[in-house]
Amino acid sequence: MPDALTSAMRASHLLVALLVVAGLVFAALGAAAGDTFYLRLATEALIFAGLAISVDILLGYTGLLSLGQALYFGMGAYLSALVLMAVPSFWLALAVALVAGLVVGLIGGVIANRVRGVYFALITFGMAQVAAKVVYNTRALGASDGLIGVPILDIQLGVASVSSASPVGLFLIVLTIIVLLYALAAYVLDTPFGRLLIALRANERRVPFLGYNTVSLRLAAYVLAAVIATVSGALYPMLRGFVSPELLFFATSGNAVIMVVLGGVGTLVGALYGSVLLTVLKSVIGTWTEHHLIVIGLLFMGAVIFLPRGLMGFVRPALARRLAAKVGA
Amino acid sequence: MLDYITFVLAPQMLTGLALGIAVILVALGLTIIFGLLDVINMAHGEFYALGAFLALALGWIGVPFWLLLVLVPLLMLPLGYVVERALIQRVFHGGDRHVTTLLLTFGLGLVLEDVFKLIFGPNPYRPETPISGAVEFAGIFLPTYRVFLIVIGAAIIAAVALAVYRTRLGAMVRAAAFDRNMAASLGVPVTWVYAGAFAFGVALAGLAGVLLAPIYSVFPTMGRDFILLAFTVVIVGGMGSIAGAVVAGLFLTQVQAIASLYISPVWTDPIVFGIMVAMLMLRPQGLFGRIGHA
Repeated sequence: MPDALTSAMRASHLLVALLVVAGLVFAALGAAAGDTFYLRLATEALIFAGLAISVDILLGYTGLLSLGQALYFGMGAYLSALVLMAVPSFWLALAVALVAGLVVGLIGGVIANRVRGVYFALITFGMAQVAAKVVYNTRALGASDGLIGVPILDIQLGVASVSSASPVGLFLIVLTIIVLLYALAAYVLDTPFGRLLIALRANERRVPFLGYNTVSLRLAAYVLAAVIATVSGALYPMLRGFVSPELLFFATSGNAVIMVVLGGVGTLVGALYGSVLLTVLKSVIGTWTEHHLIVIGLLFMGAVIFLPRGLMGFVRPALARRLAAKVGA
Repeated sequence: MLDYITFVLAPQMLTGLALGIAVILVALGLTIIFGLLDVINMAHGEFYALGAFLALALGWIGVPFWLLLVLVPLLMLPLGYVVERALIQRVFHGGDRHVTTLLLTFGLGLVLEDVFKLIFGPNPYRPETPISGAVEFAGIFLPTYRVFLIVIGAAIIAAVALAVYRTRLGAMVRAAAFDRNMAASLGVPVTWVYAGAFAFGVALAGLAGVLLAPIYSVFPTMGRDFILLAFTVVIVGGMGSIAGAVVAGLFLTQVQAIASLYISPVWTDPIVFGIMVAMLMLRPQGLFGRIGHA
């Protein structure tokens, strides 16, 4: 019989599968109706879900609140835009983002992991802010305007190729990549290494007594989160055709935290649902008022006070119990 | 050389000093709230903005500036008290206090900022300077209002330090910060002290808003940029340290002021944040210790 954590993770997998099915239906409907707007909105929600997954790896599993995950997301977006403007290759852009995420994540992780708790939140916040200000003031990176004119590219998929201008094509590709990122995170977190991260969150002082090095554990989690955020960011310019310094600002990091808290901290799938929820909320509320932050802020505060397990807190435990019972029977 | 000092360096440093005093006022509230409650108040910048908007609105209905200096902080005290009792205390004893209170105040900041936008619109207002003219001191000209800001700000900072370190109330606050349970068993009304300290910090932010509105104009996101600097000051000075906030506030704003003479002013922000990151790496507790701990 699987233990509670494995059942919980399986419940997450089921919920992701549900989301994928809904996404495919949505894509089919959108393609049939010839829609562009909603497909692009959904694609954006998925891209930001990648960022939210990276926040949840840190907050939900390792117990580290990062207020600067936009640093990696924005870096991925800028690098991808630069690569695509030079060589319009989808795979090259992703590869560059992946490597940069590894390298910069390692450097950032060494810096940020010198401190813990609230200082970790502030140092990640500070690092992202330094990067944002530097980009904002660098003419070569478009300064406050960002980089405009990322070309439309043909994404080579071996036998076929998909144009990034096709809303449904890009949606499906982004959906695939985000699900792969989710699968990577879920796989890693379900290994003994992932269990150690959960142990770290539960009681950081005891983990060293079991013979593990907490510093390298935290660093590994940080790098994993950085890579996921960078790769997600790399998808952004393919969708929008531009990048702007806002992607590096605190609002982007803050939004990702809101998504995770609304969706459910420490569930991984909550990041995906949270992102979809936030995007839907923003566009629905946005139709009758531009002051959507009041509603979102209040919802967020309500979630922090009354629903510390978020949206997934309603469904996932019950689902996990049923799964455990089924396997046990 | 002398001309350079009189006409370039000294005015720049005095302008930096005015900014420094203002930042310290905001940072004091942050650092007291952290030192005592262990709460990172992410909505502090919005409380600062609220002070400025209150001053603006009350100024429109004819309340004189001098009265605003007293009235606005007094109005914000009950607000801070209610926020602490009704919101912060709800999650205060839950699992990870740092994270939940930070998230909660972050949400509160979002709401407040949008409320300002709803009421006042996104565009900046420029309230009239209550004291016009300039004063000359040893050949250096400075707007009178900035001199006033430096003097009154320094007086407020001194008063806060005196209150915390030299009065009975301050002793209770420090006792509650050092050991909550021990203080409570000695008869310190700890819940009251906590909420009171939060309210006090919020009121200080509001006061800073009133004082700075005539210099930096009033707009909904005004708290955002300013609070970054205040956070930097609190971190470099040592979270929860009053002396640290003063020293770091003066130091960082002078760095900014002097650096902007030699490099483009837009690059001073990365320098200041860089100092903060370096400080967090090398000495995360900051220059000085926490309230009640030193």
